[in-house]
Amino acid sequence: MATAISVNGVSMEYKTPKGTTHVLDDVSYEVQDGHFVSIVGPSGVGKTTLLRLLTGLALPTAGEIQVRGKKISSSPDDLAVVLQDYTRSLMPWLSVEKNIALPLKNQKLSKAERKERITASLAEVGLEGAESKYPWQLSGGMQQRVSIARALAVRPSILVMDEPFASVDAQTRFDLEDLVLKVRDDFGITTLMVTHDIDEAVYLSDEIVVLHGKPAKVRDVVKVDIPFPRSQMETRNDQRFAELRTHVYGMVRGLE
Amino acid sequence: MSGKPLRIPAGLVSAVVALLIWQIATTWGPLAGSSVPTATSTLAELWNMLFMSETWDSIWQTIQMALYGFLIAVVIAIPVGILIGLSRFAFISTKFTFDFFKVIPPIVIIPITILVFGPTLQMGVFLVVFAIVFALAIQTAYGVRDADPVLIETMRCYGMGRAKQVLYARLPAASPFIAIGIRISVSAAMIVAVVAGLVGGAPGLGHDLLLTETNGQNSATFAIVLILGILGLAVSRLVVFLQRRLIFWTAS
Repeated sequence: MATAISVNGVSMEYKTPKGTTHVLDDVSYEVQDGHFVSIVGPSGVGKTTLLRLLTGLALPTAGEIQVRGKKISSSPDDLAVVLQDYTRSLMPWLSVEKNIALPLKNQKLSKAERKERITASLAEVGLEGAESKYPWQLSGGMQQRVSIARALAVRPSILVMDEPFASVDAQTRFDLEDLVLKVRDDFGITTLMVTHDIDEAVYLSDEIVVLHGKPAKVRDVVKVDIPFPRSQMETRNDQRFAELRTHVYGMVRGLE
Repeated sequence: MSGKPLRIPAGLVSAVVALLIWQIATTWGPLAGSSVPTATSTLAELWNMLFMSETWDSIWQTIQMALYGFLIAVVIAIPVGILIGLSRFAFISTKFTFDFFKVIPPIVIIPITILVFGPTLQMGVFLVVFAIVFALAIQTAYGVRDADPVLIETMRCYGMGRAKQVLYARLPAASPFIAIGIRISVSAAMIVAVVAGLVGGAPGLGHDLLLTETNGQNSATFAIVLILGILGLAVSRLVVFLQRRLIFWTAS
């Protein structure tokens, strides 16, 4: 399997009036094509900083990130994002359809192609016929589905998600987790997710990158050897699930 | 909303009560026999004036001053506000100067404008522009800066550049701020257009106020005040109506 993303010796420092804050120190790992990788760690460890580097929103002070062997210097073309705060990441002045269409217009797709992709991606997330609705007319879970549909419509090879299910209720959360797994299966998208929910990380991932320390280093990369397809009922009762979550939890809390 | 059908009758009731108090105060009350005309004589004068073409000319001149001034101010202030809002340095450095001009009452520059323009429509237009352009530019700049960084970063992730961020995110995000600026500006434009006539001698209702007052035509003076009130009310209603239509997403 080919390497989709490689993070090579990435360090990140912020200059503040009080001095230099060293957030990430020599972080390295590789993400295989089509894998689902979660990044976990204690709050404030620098997960979001790492995500900003992965999306090209910021550049590391040392080291580099490569997408398919090419060093990134801005947001890669075939990358899509789903952020925690759907109310802030969708445009309230545009309908669902137009929200999804915006990145497609930017890719200079024809009107017919845009239309086709919007219909297809809304169907994929179970929001058929929601084209003319406005985001604020939808529930939180549905708005996050719109974000996912927008991401899928660009046919990305890499999907980056920042706490994507942190702002929805528990039931919706399970539904969206399974939706994301289905999407990954349907399109083979390499998926990176930052989360503080260790159960969720174990449930969804092929691998979990555990960050720890100040500045943060990669504490461990845990392979989740639970076979796909996974199910909310069975996987979460699996003996191996319990072992892995305990192991990851221990590392995140610095107990191991 | 259950209160909605009541709104117009409720407004009418208070208007009738106000007219009654006015009538009583000027007939039997403390203002009886003073230079304040009665409500009935004012309304009668207003009725007469509605059939005189001079009245409509004056109304149109006042509206023209307010409207042209307002449009010029919008055309200047919104692009300038956007540019200022896009740069932190420009925002901080111009804010001081703009705030300074914002608080200067336009009335104090009337003597200068009379020297430059004379008591003309142009003078009124200039005063209106001066009165609102700075506040509107600052308001626009604030709005542009208020665009959610999460939204801007989302757009950047999808490869959308600065121009698209402005067009699709910063401008719509700024529009509620601009709308507030416009609501305030429209009222200010009307007031200044009248003051330009009243103090500066520019044509229109303000100038008519000055003339009728010096001629002792008190009923006419008050009738003009009524016209101004109705005009102001109509304009602000129109702006609110348009705002609700155009910036629908903030309503809920």
